[in-house]
Amino acid sequence: MTAPATEPAPGVPVPGDGAVRADSRARRALPFLRSLASTALVTVTVLFLASVITFALGALSDSNPAAAALGETATQADIDRLNAEFGLDRPLVVQYFSWVGNALGGDLGRSWFTTIPVSDSIRQALPVDLSIAALALVLAILIGGGAGIGAALSNGGIFDRAVTLVCSLLGTLPPFVIGMALIVVFAVKLQALPAGGYVPITVDPLEWLRFAILPGLALSLDVAASIARQLRTSLVGSLRENYAVGAQMRGFGRSRVLFGHVLRNAAGPTLAVIGLAIPLIIGGAVMTEKLFGLPGIAQLALQSAEKGDVPVVLGTLLVTAVIVVAASLVINVLQKALDPLARQGSARRAAR
Amino acid sequence: MPLSPERVLDVRDLQVSVGDHLVAVQDVSFQIGRGEAVGLVGESGSGKTLTCRAVLGLLPTTGEIDHGRIVLGDGADAVELTGARRSTWDQVRGVRLGAVFQDPASYLNPSLTVGHQLAEQLRVKAGLSRAAAHRRSVELFTEVGLHEPESVFHQYPHELSGGMLQRVLIAISVSCEPELLIADEATTALDVVIQAEILELLRRLRETHGLSLLLVTHDLAVVAETCERILVMYGGQVVESGPTAEVLGDPQHPYTRALMDVATIGNWERRTLDVIPGQPPAAGERMPGCRFAPRCRYAAAACVAGPVPLVDLETEGRSARCARLGEVLTESALEEVSA
Amino acid sequence: MSTLRRLWAIPTARFALVVLAGVAFLAVFGSALAPHDPLKQYTDRVLEGPSGDHLLGTDYLGRDVLSRLMAGTRLSVIGAAEAVVIGAVLGVPTGLASAWVGPRLEWLALRISDTLVILPFTVFAIAVAGTLGNGLQQAMFAIGVLISPIFFRVTRAVALGLRTQQYVEAAELMGASQWWTLRTHIWTKVLPNVAVTSAQAAGAALLVVASLSFLGLGVTPPAPTWGGMLASDLGYLTQQTWAPVFPGLLMMATVGSLNLLADAIRDATGAGTSARRRRRTPATSRKERSGAVVS
Repeated sequence: MTAPATEPAPGVPVPGDGAVRADSRARRALPFLRSLASTALVTVTVLFLASVITFALGALSDSNPAAAALGETATQADIDRLNAEFGLDRPLVVQYFSWVGNALGGDLGRSWFTTIPVSDSIRQALPVDLSIAALALVLAILIGGGAGIGAALSNGGIFDRAVTLVCSLLGTLPPFVIGMALIVVFAVKLQALPAGGYVPITVDPLEWLRFAILPGLALSLDVAASIARQLRTSLVGSLRENYAVGAQMRGFGRSRVLFGHVLRNAAGPTLAVIGLAIPLIIGGAVMTEKLFGLPGIAQLALQSAEKGDVPVVLGTLLVTAVIVVAASLVINVLQKALDPLARQGSARRAAR
Repeated sequence: MPLSPERVLDVRDLQVSVGDHLVAVQDVSFQIGRGEAVGLVGESGSGKTLTCRAVLGLLPTTGEIDHGRIVLGDGADAVELTGARRSTWDQVRGVRLGAVFQDPASYLNPSLTVGHQLAEQLRVKAGLSRAAAHRRSVELFTEVGLHEPESVFHQYPHELSGGMLQRVLIAISVSCEPELLIADEATTALDVVIQAEILELLRRLRETHGLSLLLVTHDLAVVAETCERILVMYGGQVVESGPTAEVLGDPQHPYTRALMDVATIGNWERRTLDVIPGQPPAAGERMPGCRFAPRCRYAAAACVAGPVPLVDLETEGRSARCARLGEVLTESALEEVSA
Repeated sequence: MSTLRRLWAIPTARFALVVLAGVAFLAVFGSALAPHDPLKQYTDRVLEGPSGDHLLGTDYLGRDVLSRLMAGTRLSVIGAAEAVVIGAVLGVPTGLASAWVGPRLEWLALRISDTLVILPFTVFAIAVAGTLGNGLQQAMFAIGVLISPIFFRVTRAVALGLRTQQYVEAAELMGASQWWTLRTHIWTKVLPNVAVTSAQAAGAALLVVASLSFLGLGVTPPAPTWGGMLASDLGYLTQQTWAPVFPGLLMMATVGSLNLLADAIRDATGAGTSARRRRRTPATSRKERSGAVVS
């Protein structure tokens, strides 16, 4: 691959300046569009596959609305009647497309028990999870980022070793243990924060924070550990790079070198780690909900799972998948915004 | 050529060791006057790069200045750089001391536009406003010979060629009007035409900005073209120094002479091992006498008997470190006659 | 087996192997050797600390903690092991194959792997429990399916390296069958990587199994598991500090050992590094290939 730019001799005007520039702009735009298209294709495919997997679970299930609602007393006539009512007597392919088609319009079907629309139940529970998960993400970035930067700066020192040790220990315990320990310390021993319960953020943000801070913290520590580990590794590597030396050579102080130059480049891999952690946070939210008695989507899913209320269970899984995909997309965009090479498509990366 | 009275850099008895106290630079002393260009020449491992890194405060973590003094500036402006704290370095580097290196692409932040990086320098180090920094950046880009400076301003390092990047780095280095610019193999990786252009640019900047230049290179031709004075380093020591024309016109040290012989072949840094038999000494290698003796065709008992001092020669400003100063001259002259 | 000897030479690996051997022993003989019936409730001795009768104390129902730990090892370990086996069985062959099938199938395989990666363990396990029923088998199936992309990716990376090298080898061997080459490579390159991944995945699976027990999925009470004990005993942390400490420590030691073992296998075999390095420099292998053809 040839170098993207050529060296014009000084003092010699380049003929057809405008044309050259327009051409280079087009060259720059094309890989960008291509990467955009491929991202869109991947996203759509992943969502489609997630819906297929979700639907397949429902299709493989041997529970049916009549058995779920009426129990042992259900007769074959009841079963047939309710199956017809919920459209379960149609061929699977037809069922799938009607389910997905409705889902695209925001309709995830009705509960077999209460006949409340699944999307209504989810809409009610979702803000709890989203607000807690967002808080956890912020906390994870703050804690993990601080620990990672500190560890990189003390590279090999006591703080570095302490961070490494804490990170490895955190990784050997199930997440709910951390949450329980936090409850015991802050809610039971210190009586500083409530051990459970919830106030919506729209009602009273401060009160929400009081209830959300412990679940958020419990949820964040695992992710904070991976962020700290990744950030430390990339920072130590980047600080040795010539451009860091170059920034130092320009007379920039330690903090400008770190925050203005090195962190920017070390942020890419860290963002990737955050992207991978999003399913962990959403999955962990389930745990914290149970632990702190939050009225979130996991409680909904757990209760429905116990009863065999398939439409609700499938709805929660699908919505979760969509949320994770959306969050991953945001991370993807952020990564591209940070890295001019990625922004202009991968072709240029290869040229380097 | 009379030395300018104002001194920009004064290096005295510098000794640098690396790793486990392995002496890699020994008793190096030199001065650079205002507006003067000095060439520091040697092959890989001669200690030239370590010397320049010591002046820049960028020694590797295992490197250490054992003794010696490095003073930037003269009189009231003089700053002692040996053992300077980070805050002192931050006031000196980028403001009074600029540097460009080989492989310019790696010294620029890949995720910031080159214009941003120059403007940042001007804002942080010269206190310019955002708009003024942008204006001045475009001027500087024009001055260093970049075409369409306004569009270059918004480009990322990976979009520019090596020669353009070196111009960008030079623009950044001279943006705050430093007294001294250190160029460490700054033209080595570039092709001949661009190398000549960069050297021409450096010459012009010296004139317009009153810039002093320390040119670290393995290329004698570059020094001959650019520098008033030359220092030849071998095995961590200065073996010969003086006005460029006179040193190259009449070398007094066998190593300088050998360098000139291979220089005619081309890229001698690679080939020197073939032409001058043997290998340069490693850092910390203990040698009682002349460090070049094992490879020197004129080596005699006197050369390895004890330390060889750097002796001032009759010609103004010249010195050489050879135990057989007079004799070698005659011997090689005789050889030339017989050949 | 020089690999095993090299592994044994690493102190952390020795520690990990000893711990894991102990866990394996408990998994086999734990319930037989337990001093008390793990389900028997000594109702007059609830939440006691360690004593002569109950070496590790009793839990909130007065059950002997040591016996529950020993008896619970099998279910905890087998659960995780089953998930890892399912993950490996699904991920390894597909990972190998993905390097050789056409670009379209390869793309689809990658997208399936992407999809499984985004599904959170707990949410998926709940969905599986809600549709296919709540039980250990269902939970392990759920975890195994979600673990499989890790195996898929690691194996695929090795296979891609293999694909670019295979021609060289084939030319050099002059007649040695491709299948033979492939088999040796699978033995020397794929196996260490799968071993590293298995150790890591087993640690992760243990934690997920514990989390699921906490949610009431998988193994149902009163059958003892480490995760179940942790979940139930932690609720009484203020009254009795000891009860959750022991399952917690045992779990930390096991998961920590699995992580140490994974690192040690990587160090001893160079797994992970070789595959990645080869993939990053296709130019080198191309050069090697043309060189081999010329000679």
